[in-house]
Amino acid sequence: MEDRNPYILIVDDERGLRLGTQRLLQSEDFTVDTAENGTEGILLGTRNDYDLAIIDMKMPDIDGLEVLKEIKKARPNTVCFIATAFASYDTAIEATRIGAYSYIPKPFTPEELLHQLEKGYNQRVLTIEAEKLRKEREERLLELASEQSRLKTIINSISGGVLVVNKSGEVVYFNNAALKNLNLDSLTIGQYILDKIPEKATEIVSGFIDGATAENLTKSIQIELIKDTLFVEIICSTVLNNDSSFAGVVLIIRNITEMKKIELVKSQFVSMVAHELKTPVAAVQGFLKIILDDSIPITEDQQREYLSRSVGRLQGLLDLVNDLLDISRMELKTKQRELGSLRLKEILESTVQFLKFECEHKNIQVISGIPDNLPVLHADHNELTRLFTNIISNAIKYNIENGKIFITVTEEKHYLVIAISDTGIGLKEEDRKKLFHEFFRAKNEKTRGISGTGLGLTIVQRIVDSYHGKITVESEYGKGSTFKIYLPKTNK
Amino acid sequence: MTIQERVKKILLVDDDFDLLEQNKLLLESRGFTVVTADSGSAGFETFKKEMPDAAIVDLIMEEHDAGFVLCHRIKGTKYGKRIPVLMLTSATYDTGFKFGAGTDEEKEWIKCDGILNKPVIVEELLTKLEDFFE
Repeated sequence: MEDRNPYILIVDDERGLRLGTQRLLQSEDFTVDTAENGTEGILLGTRNDYDLAIIDMKMPDIDGLEVLKEIKKARPNTVCFIATAFASYDTAIEATRIGAYSYIPKPFTPEELLHQLEKGYNQRVLTIEAEKLRKEREERLLELASEQSRLKTIINSISGGVLVVNKSGEVVYFNNAALKNLNLDSLTIGQYILDKIPEKATEIVSGFIDGATAENLTKSIQIELIKDTLFVEIICSTVLNNDSSFAGVVLIIRNITEMKKIELVKSQFVSMVAHELKTPVAAVQGFLKIILDDSIPITEDQQREYLSRSVGRLQGLLDLVNDLLDISRMELKTKQRELGSLRLKEILESTVQFLKFECEHKNIQVISGIPDNLPVLHADHNELTRLFTNIISNAIKYNIENGKIFITVTEEKHYLVIAISDTGIGLKEEDRKKLFHEFFRAKNEKTRGISGTGLGLTIVQRIVDSYHGKITVESEYGKGSTFKIYLPKTNK
Repeated sequence: MTIQERVKKILLVDDDFDLLEQNKLLLESRGFTVVTADSGSAGFETFKKEMPDAAIVDLIMEEHDAGFVLCHRIKGTKYGKRIPVLMLTSATYDTGFKFGAGTDEEKEWIKCDGILNKPVIVEELLTKLEDFFE
């Protein structure tokens, strides 16, 4: 309002007075509208939101009080003055009752008029300010009401349980998830709760209540509520009043079952890795100690043999570490994949070439039937090479002397199927099922002396999975095994 | 009576050939006679044939619990109850598998007279064997 000139309406049938007042007020920076009779006065006064209005009492068409009444009805915040040469106590009372701010007796001096208008204008500013504040307050209250219901909806929607306990140990608030995560059927506001929640949580809550600490404290615990089925984390925090005195405790109850399961798998894996790493180290250490121990008589040939076996164990350890690193990279997906168009025939042939020495060592014959016109695969060269190396080297390792390996590639609907068969020792049914488990190695009289990390097929499985392929194994103990790898053809 | 006089023949069972051979040498150097087997099932056959004065059995062999099973089988025989049977493993607390044969309840369950960490320290082994006869 301060930004603009006061906006005023003059309603007077006397032309001279009307124009004179207009000129005076315009020179004082008022914005002025004039009406020469009551009808026009009502029209303008109700249509525009004037700050001020000066209304002549006596007009030929409509009485000034009537004009005042109409304007006040439409524009209650317009500050109205009644001007009259026939001032009387009764009309003054009547005008004030209808809503006139004040009474200006005619004739008036410019000073008298401006003084009155200034007072009226200040009143108008105050009224509007108060109005604005009132409106704002109402809006805030409305907001607050909807805020509360919104908060309630939000708290009820979150998956974490929320439970608020007062200093007497009674429930003052809870959401649906609190019931679910605490495995409770029902709760009522006001109910004593400390014998319903897990004992360890009760200990914390009771501790807070007994101490009645005027501090923000938080403690959390993890509890196995139902064996192997429901693990929860309960975070207890003190709730303080505005004056910082102790009010109660809020419990946040999170279902951490999935997290716990992953943790368990992880820790089992770490245990197995540790065991697998320790064994070769122990073997090497054992040989070295024997060589260094003068009380154990061994020949020079034996010493040489033990050193060479130590080298073998260390190589195995190194292979294991490399396999573990590969798995870890695959898991982290940090391994940079370089997808390119690959010819399966070339990869398989170069893999066989790479393993030629091992084949010749056992006099194993590789027979392959790979068509020349296979569709190209869109894949990472290193990954596919690793995949086939692991499978073909198993086919060599677990083969018999003078055995055979058959490699064929066929097309089956959406897949390219690579079948690698051997004439080796085969798998017992119970071993076949565990074949892709980390560190699993079939152990029987026939596998004796065959080294390996137990991770080769784990890596194979992961590579195949990453291309949305699949792998199957058929085997007969004592006769041989066939691994079939299904890789999706690349859509062009 | 020295332990070598009490325990003349020891059965060693381990599926790791290197460790089996090392422990055999180690024990032979201390005056024991050693017979070996490389799996749980072979271990029990050797036990029956050789009637050793003590047995040292690796835990994880062809199965994760092959050593357990062998201990139970040996202790299930009349003769087996009279000889010390020690379980050999690297799967102790530091690798996450938590067990021991400390309490009577654990001994009842594990059916062995002591647990030996890999790699074997001969002095520790001798102490455990002596403990059995006291």
